[in-house]
Amino acid sequence: MIVRALSIAFVAAAIATAAAASPYKAPRTSFGDPDLQGLWTNASVTTLERPPYIKTLVISPDVAAKLEAANKAQLAENDKPTDPGKGAPAEGDDPGGYNSFWLDLGSKFGVVNGEIRSSWITDPADGHVPYSEKGRRDTMASAIPQFRNFDGPEVRSLGERCIVGYGSTGGPPMLNVLYNNNYQIVQSPGFVTIVVEMNHDARIVRLNAQHLPANMRPWMGDSIGHWEGNTLVVETTNLNPNQRFTADIRHRLYLSPDSKVTERFTRIANDQILYEFKVEEPTAYTQPWSGQIPMHATKGPMYEYACHEGNYALKDILAGARQEEKKPASGGTK
Amino acid sequence: MMKPRIALAILIGLTLPVTATHSKTVSAGKNVAAGAHYVAPRGPGGHPDLNGVWQVMNTANWDIEPHPARAALAFRPGPFGPVPAKEVVALGAVGSVPPGLGIVEGGSIPYKPEALATKKDNEAHWLERDPEIKCYLPGVPRANYMPYPFQIFQSDKALLFAYEYAGAVRNIQFKDPGPAPVDSWMGQSVGHWEGDTLVVKVTGQNDSTWFDRSGNFHSASLEVVERYTPLGPGLMRYEAQITDPDTFTRPWKMSMNLYRLEGTDAQILQFKCVEFVEELLYGRLRKEPLP
Repeated sequence: MIVRALSIAFVAAAIATAAAASPYKAPRTSFGDPDLQGLWTNASVTTLERPPYIKTLVISPDVAAKLEAANKAQLAENDKPTDPGKGAPAEGDDPGGYNSFWLDLGSKFGVVNGEIRSSWITDPADGHVPYSEKGRRDTMASAIPQFRNFDGPEVRSLGERCIVGYGSTGGPPMLNVLYNNNYQIVQSPGFVTIVVEMNHDARIVRLNAQHLPANMRPWMGDSIGHWEGNTLVVETTNLNPNQRFTADIRHRLYLSPDSKVTERFTRIANDQILYEFKVEEPTAYTQPWSGQIPMHATKGPMYEYACHEGNYALKDILAGARQEEKKPASGGTK
Repeated sequence: MMKPRIALAILIGLTLPVTATHSKTVSAGKNVAAGAHYVAPRGPGGHPDLNGVWQVMNTANWDIEPHPARAALAFRPGPFGPVPAKEVVALGAVGSVPPGLGIVEGGSIPYKPEALATKKDNEAHWLERDPEIKCYLPGVPRANYMPYPFQIFQSDKALLFAYEYAGAVRNIQFKDPGPAPVDSWMGQSVGHWEGDTLVVKVTGQNDSTWFDRSGNFHSASLEVVERYTPLGPGLMRYEAQITDPDTFTRPWKMSMNLYRLEGTDAQILQFKCVEFVEELLYGRLRKEPLP
């Protein structure tokens, strides 16, 4: 009996030791900060909000495998060569967008704490942005022009205008989109800089610094940071009001310009950063909301995403709208 | 006229107690204390610490060659000689060009005859052609001497340039990945250290960037070898050797000082100018174009 009790104690002690030893020790930079440097990607099948056909935050490996297979099949279908005999689409028909060759949206659900996640949002528990009534109204008011108004460049989306990447790829929060989900982190004493592939944006996080004056509201806001143990904590305010609505095919987000966004970057393995975000703004949302996204190490180099320099799309979108207006049948004004 | 590099040596000799004697940089070192050698503070990785916000104090972005002040960058014929073009006349003194001794070693750029004709044509069509007007990415070396600061982020693993102008970035690779798979606006930068000098070879740039607002240009064959050498506290010498056999009769070099901004100046802000040029580029496509 004593032997058995001892052996249990021994096993328990061994487990305790293992638990204490298991936390990953992040490497340090030569100036002593936890080292987050490298190239990272957040490409994933998981999206900001939970899809309607999934009810729980955590899904089983079986369900994940089925959905990942369906995703793969869909991409393969879209990747089939164009039928040369098909002819041009009829006038007014949607010619379609990119085929899969141009997409790089990831093939797996995100795994956090060993759990396969159906949404990045963990709080609230339903996996949705907790918009208030006002938040919903503001979302609609911000979103509608981007889909229906072609009167001038200012009403088009920031992605079409090549001002920042679409879908909050540059954040905050930094969300996965259909392609170019790559980030390079470089650290120097007093700074952590995140280069967002789309559109070659350097988010310069000033450590232990003060925010910009309130009337300065840069794209992607103003980010300051500090270290809490191994975790980089980044606080962003002064968000640009023109960046309040952003959309990807798989998500839409209204980010109130008065929000405070807190991001936490923790290196939890050589090849993984746990990226956490929290958004606080009491009028657009009924509660603070937060989420977790794994960022995985990826191979470089990261190439230049120059957007504006070759932006034929915005010119053609506006010119197309002007052409439409000339046709009496379309209810045009000319 | 005094040659710029001699002027530089005098300037440094007069203003810095400890003065560089990098013979390649400061060739006329008569008034430089013999044997004095600036040792830059070590940064991450044991190399000179280039971290910080840097900027030139010259007028090279207007014209990299020696130039007197002039009334404008665009002209039209007037009754008694050229006058500022209609599009810029309202800018008055703000639209005029500040003078400069230039940054081209030897003073003038060795254009091939047909390339010189293109340069002059570019200058005459500056408003339509200068990529800066359209907020296009600046390319190298122009990014380094625009009238905007840039920040160097240096660790033992990485070296990144982030420019205020247009949010341009350059990641310096220290392992040569081979030729760039495709040309780009900022090109591919591969660096190495030669003593205390950071040497960066820039290849894979497209033919759409310029050197300045005066129509100085290059082709996609451009190869730039940059040298960044600390000369004193907060001071670097920047040299760029320009090789482009499609445009120039021989390689040529530009050189200038880079100054580190200190205190509250040492923060790059955001100058994402894409939205500032939308009226210029798309105004005529508005539903109701402005008169």
